[in-house]
Amino acid sequence: MRKFLVLALLGVFAVMGLAAAAAAEDVIKIGHLAALTGDWAAYGQTEVNSAKLAVEEINAKGGVLGKKLQLIPYDFRTRPEDAVNAFRRMAENDKVVAVIGANGSGINIATAPLADKYKVPQIGTVSTNLLVTVDEKGVLHPYMFRICFTDPYQGQLIAAFSAHELKKLTAAVLWDVGSDYAQGLREFFMKYYDQYGGKVVADLGFRAGTDVDFRAQLTTIRDSKAEVLVLPNMGKEMALIMKQARELGMKDIIFVGGDGYGEFMWEIAGDAMEGSYWINHVAPEDPAMADFFKDYQKAYNDECKEFTNGVLAYDSIYWLADAIARAGKVDSTAIRDALENTVNVKLHHATMSIDPATHNPMNKTGVVLIAKDGRGQFFTKIQPE
Amino acid sequence: METLIQQIINGFSLGSVYALIAVGYSLVYSILLFSNFAHGGFLVIGGYICYYTLAAVGNNIWVASLLAFLGAGVSAVLVERGAYKPIRERTNVTLYLLIASMGMSIVIENIFVVTVGGRFRALPPVIPMTPVSVFGLATTSAFDILSLIMAMIFLIGLQVFLSTTKWGLAIRAASYDLKTAGLMGVNVNKLISIVFFVAGLLAAVGGIFLSVRYTLYPQLGLITIKAFVAAVIGGLGSLPGAVVGSLILGLAEMLTAGFISSQMRDIVVFGMLVLTLLWRPTGLFGKHISEKV
Repeated sequence: MRKFLVLALLGVFAVMGLAAAAAAEDVIKIGHLAALTGDWAAYGQTEVNSAKLAVEEINAKGGVLGKKLQLIPYDFRTRPEDAVNAFRRMAENDKVVAVIGANGSGINIATAPLADKYKVPQIGTVSTNLLVTVDEKGVLHPYMFRICFTDPYQGQLIAAFSAHELKKLTAAVLWDVGSDYAQGLREFFMKYYDQYGGKVVADLGFRAGTDVDFRAQLTTIRDSKAEVLVLPNMGKEMALIMKQARELGMKDIIFVGGDGYGEFMWEIAGDAMEGSYWINHVAPEDPAMADFFKDYQKAYNDECKEFTNGVLAYDSIYWLADAIARAGKVDSTAIRDALENTVNVKLHHATMSIDPATHNPMNKTGVVLIAKDGRGQFFTKIQPE
Repeated sequence: METLIQQIINGFSLGSVYALIAVGYSLVYSILLFSNFAHGGFLVIGGYICYYTLAAVGNNIWVASLLAFLGAGVSAVLVERGAYKPIRERTNVTLYLLIASMGMSIVIENIFVVTVGGRFRALPPVIPMTPVSVFGLATTSAFDILSLIMAMIFLIGLQVFLSTTKWGLAIRAASYDLKTAGLMGVNVNKLISIVFFVAGLLAAVGGIFLSVRYTLYPQLGLITIKAFVAAVIGGLGSLPGAVVGSLILGLAEMLTAGFISSQMRDIVVFGMLVLTLLWRPTGLFGKHISEKV
């Protein structure tokens, strides 16, 4: 009897041990570097919520390679040094197979050497600076990827849209001289617009925060006979520019901007906003994303206001799941190779292909919004030809 | 040529708004010999009163403007009573008044930041902004013409007030010598209150025009730095000087941005200030030589 009890106990332990081992092997751990506190908290919270949504959806359909995904978020408090520590813990203690985030170029530039060292691939969500995936000498970080397109690419999209879609070949640029982002967009817009046969007839600057009157620049632009006015900036100045341009009688010039579109601009610019175009990574108005925004609202009882972060974090998980499935095994290096060989992978907001030389998305579609009838509406998706 | 005419019109329209603010600076300076840096705050107060009245009474610009004028005028008087009067009763050093006015400008700005928030607000389109062609040579908005006309009306009205009324005479007398005016039987405290009321009212006029054109936010008062520069170039304490200085400054900004480089405009503005102070420290029409701040 005693013998039987011991045997039975041993059997129970054996079963438990096996179950534990099976449980450990049945999950695929994915790290998420997100700013959950600090200045970027709103963006980080949205990212984690969206990534969780994607993980739950994939798990509900049976997971990847028969295993469930598990998301392990770490707060980097908007500080690169915290991000570096978090990355170490994810790689050493949690043994994650890949990391998604962070939503800022500076953070990813700091973690890039660690991703290479631990051989854990990392996907930046909204990291648009070129140096996230390659270093200053142009040498590739083999384990760094990004899902968003870069600033230069956005400039190229604006050029392609103006030259091919609008078929307007004279343009003016009015940009914020104090902003790196505006400067990058302007530079690459000018380069590609020229290649597409367009001509930049006026190139003028202003200073955001101090300048509120743009009539001097606009008068020069009016006299240059530009058909398109490119506004590669952020903030309320663009609303004032559009309003003042219409007051100067520039009723035909077409405004084209980047990520800068905001609902608040209608209040300032009013009807001057009508017919302006805005080229962005993603847009809540994109019909392909309608389900995501509905599900997000249902799951969190909150509007997905930081929609660029939400959509890109959500699709980062789907992209990673696809790469793990293609790799055929839960191994970081194999997953890295699969990410690098991403060709025409259909995600929700775009179809992804990766340039193996730079790890930037290739020919990724941008969303064009049109400001119409008092709100931003989906216009089309574009790719440079 | 057309471009030049257009830029000149742009310059006059910008200069006329500067003039409304610069005159307020000069008016206070001519009596108390200090630059009231809280002036930008009165402008913001006027703008917000106008904004909220418009929302409350349904876009009646006349009621809203009247309330804004009164509100800004009264707050200017209150600021004078609360912050400046205790100082000027105790000391003759205008530097303390200057410092108090800087403090008040920060206080007013932050009252708006904490109560209504830093958001940009646009006034409803109560003033027509339709483009108007000027003799077929240039285009301006109906708003610009209106702001130029209103600035002229208020400046002429001020001149009439100063030259024909009893209190106007008292203000002119006080601008020569406040102490002597007091000895001659002028109620100095009442006179200073009137001066602040008028300055606050003019600031509200500028505030309404600025917030229609550039939207309303708590830091809108910072634009008065340019008006202050204009007042100094024209000669602090001189009303014609403030108007002329403002128009010169508006023109200089527009012509620099239009024909040289849009990034150079502030360099030119503040360069003009430095040159004026070097060559004519009292400005073009200035009167006081000492105690300029």
